[in-house]
Amino acid sequence: MALIELHNLDRWYGTQQALRDVSLILEPGRIGLLGPNGAGKSTLLKILMGLLPPSSGEGAILNRSLQEGGAELRRAIGYMPETDSLIPGLRGVEYVALAGELYGMPRRQALRRAHEVLSYLDLEDARYRRLEEYSTGMKQRLKLGQALVHDPQVLLLDEPTTGLDPAGRDGMLRLLLDLGKNHGKSLVLSTHLLGDVERVCETVVILHQGQVLRQGQVAELRTRRQDRYRLQIQGNPQAFVDELRLEGARVMDDNGRGELRVAVPAGWATRAFFALADNHGVLLRGIQRDDEELEELFHRVITENERDGH
Amino acid sequence: MATNLLHYRGWTGQFRGPHFAMLSIARIALSQVLRRKLFWVLYAFGLLYFFMFFFSQYLLAWTESLPENEQSVNIGFFRTNPADFVRILRTTLRIDGSGEMYRNFFRFQGSMVVIILAMAGAVLVGNDFQFGSIPFYLAKPLSPWHYLFGKCLAVAVIVNLMTTVPALVLFIQYGMLTSWDYFVNDFKLCLGILGYGLELTVCLSLMLVATAGWLRRTVPMIMAWTTVFIFFRFLAGALVNGLQMSPHWRLMDLWNDTYLVGNEWLGVGADRIWPPRQPAVWEAEIVLGAVCLICLIYLTLRIRAVEIVR
Repeated sequence: MALIELHNLDRWYGTQQALRDVSLILEPGRIGLLGPNGAGKSTLLKILMGLLPPSSGEGAILNRSLQEGGAELRRAIGYMPETDSLIPGLRGVEYVALAGELYGMPRRQALRRAHEVLSYLDLEDARYRRLEEYSTGMKQRLKLGQALVHDPQVLLLDEPTTGLDPAGRDGMLRLLLDLGKNHGKSLVLSTHLLGDVERVCETVVILHQGQVLRQGQVAELRTRRQDRYRLQIQGNPQAFVDELRLEGARVMDDNGRGELRVAVPAGWATRAFFALADNHGVLLRGIQRDDEELEELFHRVITENERDGH
Repeated sequence: MATNLLHYRGWTGQFRGPHFAMLSIARIALSQVLRRKLFWVLYAFGLLYFFMFFFSQYLLAWTESLPENEQSVNIGFFRTNPADFVRILRTTLRIDGSGEMYRNFFRFQGSMVVIILAMAGAVLVGNDFQFGSIPFYLAKPLSPWHYLFGKCLAVAVIVNLMTTVPALVLFIQYGMLTSWDYFVNDFKLCLGILGYGLELTVCLSLMLVATAGWLRRTVPMIMAWTTVFIFFRFLAGALVNGLQMSPHWRLMDLWNDTYLVGNEWLGVGADRIWPPRQPAVWEAEIVLGAVCLICLIYLTLRIRAVEIVR
């Protein structure tokens, strides 16, 4: 069963077209929704939540029609908004329990579940604090808690790491990964942070100007580059780099801390790196193929699309 | 952030319909108001009118029970004639168990209700718009109508706690102090009280939710309600009484409109309405209906315009 299935979806706001002929078939899993501002991510999320009807086309999420799903659809989904969306004056546990009640859980069960979810999110000690007293990181986790309280199959996450410090971001991504990998939750992660998608998602959908430019497994979409390597060296790299250039290789990037990105000519054998390093008294600590990164993929796709005149 | 990855547990249970969510929304909104000491101070002030009527009924029953030849009695340090007391209570406050008594009670009490609602509007509704909580509600399996009715329900509880419930207590008290026949013969008054309460509930709750959704903060709310319920009242009085213009100008005074319709509910004749020169009741009904309709249309558009996913 496909998680999301969209066919020729269009959405107009007056004379402005927000989504153009969007067709997607996404299997359950961890999905990243990437796109610059105005790409149509928000509109797509609204449609997926059954809050906004498409102007034309059809689709389903978890086999529930987008047009007819409505409230039933939102019950199967947990939504974590980007904005604070907090209710001042409430305590953490009351907020999450209220979310449970709004999803339709009986009051007692919602409260019990709120305690469980807050423990899981490491907010156990803060659950009786008023929401105004929560830090940004805690607020983000609380928002995740209110999306999780009814144990949905799918989580729609809008910029879940916005405003978090590195430790907080790391924690949030670990939680998302845990939910996706170990608890079978399907995630749709809308973000502009490529690193988040790279770390959490298996599948990516790149949206630009309302169109789907690419979709598929992150690993498959990246170009397998046979001629690019990342080298980690120890020692003085200058002579080594000069020798590489003499052999016809191009040093694409040298960060000055012993990490090089190199493009080699056709017919290059990997062992040649070791030979050159040995000749110049450099220790080759690491060597790996330099496949395209998600960021490069993203820019390449956008650039190709603009070049093709779309 | 030390995430606790071991404690996530699923939830299986039966979800309830969205109508229950309205109760949760109302409960949380009320709890927000009831947590504030200012509300309790105002509520206590508001009940002063109720106590005035309540103890006046006792006083009346007591003075009427005195022997007829009793020319004067001691009340504290004062000596007074019971007949004077009876006259004052009967003619001024109309403490006679008639529709006029309840009409007067509603009218006096209404002023305090308006003050409390103006103060509580921001907490009940305005904060949801101010702090972006609307997406929290609407991303759940609810329609905007459930949200609106939940909020209106919270306002209705406040309005009825201050008007309908005390009026019913006065009705019961009067019957118990006079004769059981009162409950049978004047049962229509009980229905009239419920009707007047319903009228105030519908009008005030829709107006409050609409104005709080528009103005959001307490001070603008107070200014707007002062304009509608006090400034327009003086203006209408000046135009009709001072400048002898058409009584239709009184229709701009919404409190007077509710008063006219309330008189109809309680069966008070047109000759007992003060001030004189009033528009027809049906005209007041049309104005109130139009105001409610405008509020409903505004709220529908307002909630539809909320960005659920930014």
